Amino acid sequence: MTAVSALSGGVSRWLLRKLLGMVLTMLAVSFLVFAVLELNVDDVAVKVLGQFSTADQRHAWLVENGYTAPFLLRYVRWLWEFMTGHWGTSTYYREDILTLIAPRLAASGLLAGAALLVIVPTGLVMGIIAGVREGSVIDRLVSVFAIVTTSVPEFASAVFLTALFVFWLGWLPGVSTMADGFHLRELVLPVCVLTLYSAGYVARMTRSSMVEVMQSPYIRTARLKGNPMRRVIVRHALRNALVTPVTVIMLQIPWLLSGVIVVEVFFAYQGFGTLLYQAALNTDIYLIEACTMVSVVVVVLTQVASDLLYAWLNPRMSIRGAAKAGAE
Amino acid sequence: MSVGWLKSLTRPTAATGALLVGGWLVVALLSHVLAPYDPFHSMLPLMSPGAPAPDGGTFWLGTDSLGRDVLSRLIYGARTVVVVATVATVTAYLVGISTGLLAGYFRGRVDILLSFFANVILSFPVLVLYIVIIVALGASAANVVLAVTFGSAPAIFRIVRAITIDLRGRDFIAAAVTQGESTWRILLVEILPNSSGALIVDFCLRLGYSAITMGVLGFLGLGLPPPTPDWGGMVNERRTLAFAFPHLVLFPCLALSSLVLGLSLLADGLRQPAARVRRVA
Amino acid sequence: MQRRLSHRCIWPYPMSEPPSALKRSRGALLQLKALRNNDGSEPHPAARDLVHDALRRGTDRRRVLRVLSWLGVSAVSARAVLGLPNPKYAQMPLQAARPAVTPRSGGTLRFVCAIQQMTDPALTTWIEASNLFRNSVEFLTYVDSDNITHPYLAESWHPSEDLKTWDFKLRDAVKWSNGDRFTVDDVIFNIRRWIAPASKSANRTTFAAITGVEALDELRFRLYLSRPLCSLPEQLYAYTCPILHRRFEEQGANWPRNPIGTGPFQLADYHVSRLAVFKRRRDYWGPPAYLDEIRYADLGTELATHVAALAAGQVDALYRVTITELDLVRRFPNMQLLTEPCAQTLVMRMKQDQKPYDDVRVRRAVMLSCDREQMLRLAYRNMGVLGEHHHVAPFHPDYFKLPPIERDVAEARRLLAQAGYPNGIDLTLSLGNTQGRYEQDTAQILQQNCADAGIRLSLQVLPAAEYWTVWDKVPFGMTYWAHRPLGIMALELAYRSGSAWNESHFTNARFDAALDAASGILDPRERSRAIGECERILQEQAVMVQAYFPKKFTVVSSRVRGFRADPQDYYRMDRVWLA
Repeated sequence: MTAVSALSGGVSRWLLRKLLGMVLTMLAVSFLVFAVLELNVDDVAVKVLGQFSTADQRHAWLVENGYTAPFLLRYVRWLWEFMTGHWGTSTYYREDILTLIAPRLAASGLLAGAALLVIVPTGLVMGIIAGVREGSVIDRLVSVFAIVTTSVPEFASAVFLTALFVFWLGWLPGVSTMADGFHLRELVLPVCVLTLYSAGYVARMTRSSMVEVMQSPYIRTARLKGNPMRRVIVRHALRNALVTPVTVIMLQIPWLLSGVIVVEVFFAYQGFGTLLYQAALNTDIYLIEACTMVSVVVVVLTQVASDLLYAWLNPRMSIRGAAKAGAE
Repeated sequence: MSVGWLKSLTRPTAATGALLVGGWLVVALLSHVLAPYDPFHSMLPLMSPGAPAPDGGTFWLGTDSLGRDVLSRLIYGARTVVVVATVATVTAYLVGISTGLLAGYFRGRVDILLSFFANVILSFPVLVLYIVIIVALGASAANVVLAVTFGSAPAIFRIVRAITIDLRGRDFIAAAVTQGESTWRILLVEILPNSSGALIVDFCLRLGYSAITMGVLGFLGLGLPPPTPDWGGMVNERRTLAFAFPHLVLFPCLALSSLVLGLSLLADGLRQPAARVRRVA
Repeated sequence: MQRRLSHRCIWPYPMSEPPSALKRSRGALLQLKALRNNDGSEPHPAARDLVHDALRRGTDRRRVLRVLSWLGVSAVSARAVLGLPNPKYAQMPLQAARPAVTPRSGGTLRFVCAIQQMTDPALTTWIEASNLFRNSVEFLTYVDSDNITHPYLAESWHPSEDLKTWDFKLRDAVKWSNGDRFTVDDVIFNIRRWIAPASKSANRTTFAAITGVEALDELRFRLYLSRPLCSLPEQLYAYTCPILHRRFEEQGANWPRNPIGTGPFQLADYHVSRLAVFKRRRDYWGPPAYLDEIRYADLGTELATHVAALAAGQVDALYRVTITELDLVRRFPNMQLLTEPCAQTLVMRMKQDQKPYDDVRVRRAVMLSCDREQMLRLAYRNMGVLGEHHHVAPFHPDYFKLPPIERDVAEARRLLAQAGYPNGIDLTLSLGNTQGRYEQDTAQILQQNCADAGIRLSLQVLPAAEYWTVWDKVPFGMTYWAHRPLGIMALELAYRSGSAWNESHFTNARFDAALDAASGILDPRERSRAIGECERILQEQAVMVQAYFPKKFTVVSSRVRGFRADPQDYYRMDRVWLA
């Protein structure tokens, strides 16, 4: 830990720079999104009032809700209100956006957490064992499993798992809306689908990283010195080998948040991905912006966390080096 | 270097991968020859695999709910997937490589600016962009190209940037600079070929990712317009019938999975020599 | 026997009949005296004539029954006189054979239904939303799944001879959920809202014929019409016509926030796109509902997900399924598939004021290349009825059979060449899959059909929500039209010049005149003859490609009783119970 404390001055400066970068990214993305949505801004009125509304009604609604003001003015107004905590009201859900996003984010967080709980141990353990025993039957099995599962897209595995467990065997419920409160059974299928896709990927990355490390001179020396295998692995190999898998796992987090939209739509899980999807379909400008800002924050925070984890795993590397390694 | 590539192809994983990918490439190129029926022509709906066709032939993989031969649609679908996924990935690569090379070589402000843009693109909600484009221009393959570019270009940018930074400090680059080679020559002739190892591996993986992205877009109703035979779209269209008529979903899934599998194996097989090259040099 | 002729209704009957016919119907003539209005009074003069026609001249008795119900005749007495059986809520086919089962009171029914934003029921554009408020607010009349009009909040009604003045008597002892008494003031308030010039409700067009309303006493009121409208009582059950509390606008015109109603259930909770809960109301004026609670859950738009939820027992009833889910549903023993013939349809309409669709030859070419049988067979597995490109279904009471239009590719090619496209033409059809993937399938069949005639059709599939923003703007679009109980209703809404929903911009003075003539006729036969004229014009002008009327399906769990699929998707839940 001495290395880290020595770097602490550098770390806080580095953190500051990262946060500044995050804020700038948020500004740029929000502006671009606003600009893109500007192309079809009149559609908002149609989506709110329904397809049978007349042109006058739509125009009246647009004027009433301030959509006819000039673009830059609207953007600045939104920005100011966003920064002061007034995230506005969703035109589709007619609810305050903050109270709308929070439970959805929590739901996605729950799904992501449950998925990670399964993915991380499974993937790491499989990868480590396979990497240590390179060339053995276990290694072959794990590799085959990993490659096959990463080749099957999520929607395909969702279809097959549903056909198997819901329709044929009837063991599990088909939808996961959690309308009546929390049920663990409703999480099983979505987590299964996500796990199938990710665990194999993590296992493969861990395995290749482990193989590389096990062949390094440092490890060979340790083994020649007579240290038992387990000690060698735990004390020496893991730290180096885990760098890549950790990156991969950290990269899964933003994916689990918004990239799992297929799973969320398929199982009707009320998560963050479907929120953004519905907002996009219904041109709900303020909700889209809010969701996007949240996504940016999550992406940047996970990057920061993964870089910090690097430094902890590999004290010889500076934070800069870790960031560089993380870029690969 | 090139000898190493060819040698690596003889290893079992890479060989299997190359076989699968090559097989689908051949199918895609010769689709109009190989397909027994017109993939857009409706005949008898929901026939099971192996059922006899009215003109005396056989529906080897059955027919879908609109009566079109599944085998023919799979074969033409190969063409769609291969073409669109390749174009999409190549576009992403062009964007990623050009920006990555520039950022890695020049560092400084160029690097900061380009990295910032990469972050912005990574965080941008692509779904929103699609829907706007679909409404404005209609659904087409251009959407898929856009999707993959947005999703992959930042990652490719980072890879290329990292490699460029790494190689920049090497002796042979310094030699080239003192020899007075132009920047473009250095970038394209010296640096790029040396990074081809990792990039080719990544390319194979990303092709698979693009093929899957096409399927996901079809699922969300944002994909290629019907009646284009697209494997992912075929899976999603007949999702509810999967239970009663599994052949409708099984075969496109197998096709898609086998292509992605082949690409993964190829990538894996090519990775080993690439890794070894990097470490030694 | 003297027959009184109404002024506006065309009655081309001879004054005397051959004696043999009279003898045959003597028994029936005696029965005619049993015909009564809903309040026991003597029925409208035309009613007797109609029954006479049904019994002697063989006019379809169901159509006559429907018209009788408009005139205020009690359905029970009419059925008895005409010799028609009473309807049953037949769920499981075996149940009809078993002795009547006592409904069980209690239980919570979980219904899958999209939950939209709703503030003012009269302005709602979503039928799903109407099913929600239908539990709490009620209508003047009620139309069952057989399209027979019954009394509801209005106990009985009397049209004048010329059908331009209607007297309604309201039910006594109806209480609002906030304790107020239901009086004629509530009804007057609502009707005035609907017909006000500034009203944005669809009711303004539907009830354009109403010129005035006045209260006669505390429970009776009178409507004045500018032209005879015989189907008025049926139209009072449209989904935008619930009777709201007289102080609705004063209290903010937001029904979910202040859910006062006269109905058997009370709104307990309402979240857009998530869930809504209704609880049984103790002080309902009618027999109390069987269910304790109804929970509506919004499970998104993927119907396969809904079926999966039903299969796993997470819900009890689905709002709607389409043909793609049929195979899935058939495999489960714990589900019942309910079907009803339905006049819902996909209309592929061409904008008459945009090139190249302004040329009737191009339109006819597209229409003639369509293979309707193949469309119905492949896109909807033959579960429906063929349409004839004029939006009136064969089972509509006012349908008139025209000579069939057959597919004629050669003629289509010839017409295209005449119109200046000897090498074919490139067209684009826009659609939104708003009801399901079968829309896309139908379009793909049309694509193949058109290819035979040299028309290269490309499809533009938009996300459903997006399609509704452009449905009336695209040159060639496929729009879903929900069931309308009468053919004339669809024709009025979609093809009358200047109508707000006239997406094809079809303007034809002859057509408008024919529509006007038809809406005043009571006699079903004459009416359909007049509608036949409208159908002919639509076909001649090739306004649309409309190939079939798909059946309506819905699925409920095997525990649900008393539930019947409704072609209009209007679900009353007070007679539904859980076994």
